[in-house]
Amino acid sequence: MLHAVRRTGLVFFPAYDWAISPSHPEREERLLYTQDQVLEEGLLDIDGIIEYRVRPAGFEDIRRIHFCVPDEAAVTTESHLISAGGCLVAADAVLKGEVESAFALVRPPGHHAMRVVHGNRGFCNINNEAVMIEYIREKYGIRRVAIVDTDCHHGDGSQDIYWHDPNTLFISIHQDGRTLYPGSGFPHETGGPNAQGMTINIPLPPQTGEEGFLYVLEELVMPLLEKFEPELVINSAGQDNHFNDPITNMNFSARGYAALNARLRPDIAVLEGGYAVENALPYVNVGIIMAMAGMDTSCVKEPNYDTDYRPQPSEITGYIADLVDRLRGVFLEGGLKTVPCEEGEVVQRSRDIYYDTDNIHERQHEKIRCCKACPGAFSIASTSNRGQHILAVHVPLGACRACRDIGSAWFEEGTRGAFTHVYLQDRVRGVYEKT
Amino acid sequence: MILGLDVGGTQTDAVLIQEGRVVAAAKTPTTGDLLATLRIALENTLGHVDPGRLVRMAFSTTMATNAIVEDRLDDAGMIVSSGPGLNPEWFSVGPSYHVVDGCLDHQGFETKPLDRSAVMNAASSILNAGIPVLGVVSKFSVRNPWHELQAADWVGHSFSHVAMGHRISGALNFPRRIATTYLNAALYRLHKNFSDALIHILREKGLSGPRYLLKPDGGTIDLDMSIQRPAQTAQSGPAASVMGALALDGCEGVTLVLDVGGTTTDMSVVIDGTPLLKPLGIRLGPYQTLIRSLLTHSIGIGGDSEVRMAQDGKLKIGPVRRGEPAGFGGPAPTPTDAMITLGLLDAGKRDVSRLAMEKVGETAGWDGAATAERILQGMAEAIAASARAFVYDINAQPVYTIHEVLADQRVEPTSVLIIGGPAPQIAGYIGKALGLPCRFPRHYGVANAVGAAVARVTSEITLQADTQRGSVIISEAAVENDIDAGFTMDQAMSLGRAVLCRQAAINGADEKGLEISILERQAFTMIRGYMRTGRNIRLKMGITPGLIPEWKRGG
Ligand SMILES: [Zn+2]
Ligand SMILES: [Zn+2]
Repeated sequence: MLHAVRRTGLVFFPAYDWAISPSHPEREERLLYTQDQVLEEGLLDIDGIIEYRVRPAGFEDIRRIHFCVPDEAAVTTESHLISAGGCLVAADAVLKGEVESAFALVRPPGHHAMRVVHGNRGFCNINNEAVMIEYIREKYGIRRVAIVDTDCHHGDGSQDIYWHDPNTLFISIHQDGRTLYPGSGFPHETGGPNAQGMTINIPLPPQTGEEGFLYVLEELVMPLLEKFEPELVINSAGQDNHFNDPITNMNFSARGYAALNARLRPDIAVLEGGYAVENALPYVNVGIIMAMAGMDTSCVKEPNYDTDYRPQPSEITGYIADLVDRLRGVFLEGGLKTVPCEEGEVVQRSRDIYYDTDNIHERQHEKIRCCKACPGAFSIASTSNRGQHILAVHVPLGACRACRDIGSAWFEEGTRGAFTHVYLQDRVRGVYEKT
Repeated sequence: MILGLDVGGTQTDAVLIQEGRVVAAAKTPTTGDLLATLRIALENTLGHVDPGRLVRMAFSTTMATNAIVEDRLDDAGMIVSSGPGLNPEWFSVGPSYHVVDGCLDHQGFETKPLDRSAVMNAASSILNAGIPVLGVVSKFSVRNPWHELQAADWVGHSFSHVAMGHRISGALNFPRRIATTYLNAALYRLHKNFSDALIHILREKGLSGPRYLLKPDGGTIDLDMSIQRPAQTAQSGPAASVMGALALDGCEGVTLVLDVGGTTTDMSVVIDGTPLLKPLGIRLGPYQTLIRSLLTHSIGIGGDSEVRMAQDGKLKIGPVRRGEPAGFGGPAPTPTDAMITLGLLDAGKRDVSRLAMEKVGETAGWDGAATAERILQGMAEAIAASARAFVYDINAQPVYTIHEVLADQRVEPTSVLIIGGPAPQIAGYIGKALGLPCRFPRHYGVANAVGAAVARVTSEITLQADTQRGSVIISEAAVENDIDAGFTMDQAMSLGRAVLCRQAAINGADEKGLEISILERQAFTMIRGYMRTGRNIRLKMGITPGLIPEWKRGG
């Protein structure tokens, strides 16, 4: 009988009865062939690979992180709750020490879902990783968490959620936003005033091959993690960098993904995108599971690898070397130009957010209190073209007295204003209110 | 009249059933000579019965199991083609295992042709090693058996028997397909010899009715048909006990069935008369197989388990059986001695049993009766703890659709049915330990033989239709038909039903009134880009384990 070198948990929720629409890439059979391959390989018979049963997440799990407009029921389906719940199952397996790492192969994905949710963006409504991380923080008292988002698309939702959190290091490696949805994720996006340098974006040019990804991982991501010293590493494991993927332009292979996972060694990996359902996902997922379990992946290969895989062009190799050099200078060697911010000062920003799937236009106005003592309270006034005008107030875990007070004041003030709803997310007292 | 015969580790039980009632039962010690044991058991049971009145015979034997656990398998050569994934050398089995080039993908498309010269070379090296039986397996052969058929076609004529992977089961699992195919090849000759000898004995006794063997899934298969897949007759003992419980009690609601034997206690769950099946397949010795089986769990505690007082002052029961209970002249005190001491069982030498109990309880300062009482409580509590863990595991099985998550049908036993020799004595203790009503049926001591006697033929088919590939496959029944783009679920259902009925009839089922259940039914539209390219239909149907109509008529 085969043994896993590292005990590995697997949560598999293919949601065979859920699709965004009949011909949408995020549809019923997306993980069908992955399941076929996993079953045929006999991966679940390997001693030390343990499959867990999913359970739905509750609205209380979502309220820790999202402001759902008008409420959770309106923006989620059962499948969203089960997908997020699957991540909670994976988290419990790891944090209770039953396994060394776990992979939540769930759908729908989540990394484009932001803190305020009016609907579906980039196939996502609920940010599975964020729901999971806040559950872990609440239940297991963990603070420092690193998210490494390896999906081909910029993890703009996760970035938005952790923009102000100095305890969460968010690193996104993705195809350059000038060439792909959602069009964000540039190196100058480095985090809010209280968390400057905690958001790190690594945009790579189209046709980047596995050499490029592994180079970035080795030269930049691993040193960044070493420096941050997280208690937990989460991998947003999108698989759309694959050379067979129909909606992106990257050049990654199953073995590349396996090598990346083996080197990164995330505590928990959560499936994100990946739409080459027949000729990439089955092999990539098998590779990742085996890599997590510490097994030899040298026989994992796509059937068309030898004919269709092209090595990375040399000009791209050069471009990536320069980029990594520059980012090392900024994030590892003290070159980050921070914006000075006075204790107690309230910094504001406004922005527009577009929900591609649901065609929603949202306008946000955000205020955050600069704070050296805690991550800082913030509020978001959000208006959508669906007629919603809400105010959302967040008091972070470990908030100082001043931030708790200003949060309460903003909430009070908001209830007297002309908002359709006013929300309070008080992580210190565990109070989640809505008018 | 129906004859049922169950070969157990220590006892071979036989029953005669007439008009739905057990009219004779006999226990015969099991010896090392299986055929001799069968012959004596037949003589003990049939007595003066007119052999012409026997309309059906069913046997649960240990032939295949013993051969596997005692490592008495024949050598079999293996030719395996894999393609990408796990390293196929990791699943090497037998003395002559050969990996050859060739690859099918998960839809069954050939992505690399089977390497003919490699297959020829492998075959000659197997033959040169003096091995006359062959197993051929390819990855995803249940989606397209072409490579296995090709290999068998190229080299099969040189071998006395060829086992093919796709014929075992439609389930996906390449390593298990390799192991199961190997077992079918390596057991072929042994099973053939056994069944020839059994047929000879039966003929000698003038018994000519239909003959069946019990399988681990609680179903039966015609003895002649079992020769093609001998491994599927292995380890049918636990299935016999479940089917016996079902036959003698009916098992309404959610019933936890416990078969308390001499060495072990087997447990299983029956829901409204249908036993739970294991999701994938049974483990036989070191081999994980694709052989369908009932979901059972076994613990090393029975009436003859050794009892001792451990250093920490706690009673330890099992897992070892030293022999007979002390009261029967055995070497060690057992729960049976406790029953004898308490007057629950009128057998053996009561004073010897009591003395053995006193000795166990000596250091704790308990007298014989107090020790005996504690032993039976301890035995019941250990069985209860194991049963709770068993039920917990059943409920932890993964599910894959929203519907299943929301339905969340948890298995929660509402009563306990106990069979096996000590059933009446232990029932009260187990009922208390589990907090559930606990009962035992008539003929509890020979329930396994009754189970074997009245279990119906089971059969299962797995249909996969892929309109993109233009084919529908039912792997177990060697069906592969071309289909057009408009192939529907309705067509799949009627094809599936027809093939299942045919298959069941071949396996010995009476074709009237087959109860077919749909085990899985899914249809997916396949999309490439944003275009519909085809339909993928998956269907699993089977004749689930149950009782022959004659038994129901008898009531
Ligand atoms: Zn993506
Ligand atoms: Zn503060």
